[in-house]
Amino acid sequence: MKLLLLACALGGGWAGAAASRQAFFDWGLPSWLPRPYVPLDNPMTAQKVTLGRYLFYDTRVSLNGKESCATCHRQALAFTDGRKVSVGTTGQLHPRNAMSLVNVAYASVLTWSDPKLTRLEDQMLVPMYGAHPVELGLKLGDRFLLEHDPTYKPLFSAAFPGASDPYSMGNVVKALACFERTIISKNTPYDRYHYGGDDHAVSEAAKRGEELFFSEPCKCFQCHSGFNFSDATRSARSHDGDLPFHNTGLYNVVGPFSYPAPNRGTFEHTGLTTDMGAFKTPTLRNVAVTGPNMHDGSIATLGEVLDHYSSGGRTIATGPNAGVGSKNPNKDPRIAGFTLTAQGKSDMIAFLETLTDEDLLHDPKLSDPWLNHGK
Amino acid sequence: MKRLGLLAGLCVMVIASATPKKQADPQTFSVSGDLPKPVTLSVTDLDKLPQQTATVQEQDGTTTKYSGVLLRAILENAGAPTGNSLRGKALASYILASARDGYQVVFTLAELEPAFGNEQILVVDKVGNKPLFGYQGPFRILCPADKAGARSLRMLSTIQFVSLRK
Repeated sequence: MKLLLLACALGGGWAGAAASRQAFFDWGLPSWLPRPYVPLDNPMTAQKVTLGRYLFYDTRVSLNGKESCATCHRQALAFTDGRKVSVGTTGQLHPRNAMSLVNVAYASVLTWSDPKLTRLEDQMLVPMYGAHPVELGLKLGDRFLLEHDPTYKPLFSAAFPGASDPYSMGNVVKALACFERTIISKNTPYDRYHYGGDDHAVSEAAKRGEELFFSEPCKCFQCHSGFNFSDATRSARSHDGDLPFHNTGLYNVVGPFSYPAPNRGTFEHTGLTTDMGAFKTPTLRNVAVTGPNMHDGSIATLGEVLDHYSSGGRTIATGPNAGVGSKNPNKDPRIAGFTLTAQGKSDMIAFLETLTDEDLLHDPKLSDPWLNHGK
Repeated sequence: MKRLGLLAGLCVMVIASATPKKQADPQTFSVSGDLPKPVTLSVTDLDKLPQQTATVQEQDGTTTKYSGVLLRAILENAGAPTGNSLRGKALASYILASARDGYQVVFTLAELEPAFGNEQILVVDKVGNKPLFGYQGPFRILCPADKAGARSLRMLSTIQFVSLRK
């Protein structure tokens, strides 16, 4: 009896040690960067991150067995796909440009236009199960079919110890979310200059561009704000602010709706005409490698993006989307246009290029684990 | 002769438009207006005044430690009414802070005064003990108690004191 009690006590001790191991997660963040917000029902653990990384890169989770999360979110492109709009497993085109997953842990809203999707655990059900468009092509009720895979067995056991059904889709989602929350940009040339005090980390042109970016006439910083260069940012220490969706005067088509279907922004979710054409402010971290730009990938280069904003909106002369975007009645008043010389434009681009995090683009911890492992 | 006069006039206009506007020295800021002792201050001048620090949490959750001088002390040194002098007509005055990029913010003396608002608004020139650089500096107004950052004007260029009732 005494021996049994001892065994129970030891068992409890081990379980407690395991729990405390899981409670601590080393984000590896520099001192200037706050810890991300993490939902209470999915605390970060190294084991879930490892499992999530395998799942993220596993093409076997898609309908056609050829696509994974990484198909539209490629590390080399700051977890975007380089396409104007993405392509699903059935070949169907997505109406929108793939958002970068960089700093997704800090995102207060997660898609281009839906204000309700604020948790990765909820958002990723859209690419997994969505039918309009089909992305990964899973069906509701599908089970995780790889539970006998020798790679996954120990990974699920470690990530969800003691779970009655460790292979549930809920756990798959939790692990994916934990991995995606580790995709954090923290070592750009700009970071080394601005937070690290290395005056030589960026060029003089970039410094001039930074001053323009943060200037009153250009106002770029008013939406692309803070360390994440997006007002759609939250952390463990900050609260959500106003909803970070803005109509930037990209379109002004004739008719009752000034933005072309099916991309009418937050309006599609709220039905409010004031939300017409309002899209999320994306982070500018790595923006030099995440083009084409805007919610529909309709602007190819950073120079053209600057032309759009300096004009206070885009004018499309001909075709079904013809219109003067600067006259869009729902345009954010801050998109008022500004004078930008050729030198200023070049400087601003030099500044934006300092936001590329080469460490992140080549970090082995974020890379495809199957390349060296095999399926 | 009339034509010559017109030409001369045009020349003056061309010269005037081609001549760059005189820019304020970006390494200093001026304190002027309805003050008996207007002054232009450099980082060295600021360092000679009593220093204060403030650690603020930015809206994005990052925290930053700034140091500098109370705006009230700078205005007091320039002769602005403070303490018992801040009464009656003196309360009908304001401070217009302007940045290099044209941004402007207004404060009142009363909000800086311990007997009234007692806001510890600073003119800072250091961040983490290093000079304030880039788009923020070299001088910035810092309002540590504000929830929003819009009054914490960057690239401070001039502080103008305007007395409405003289």
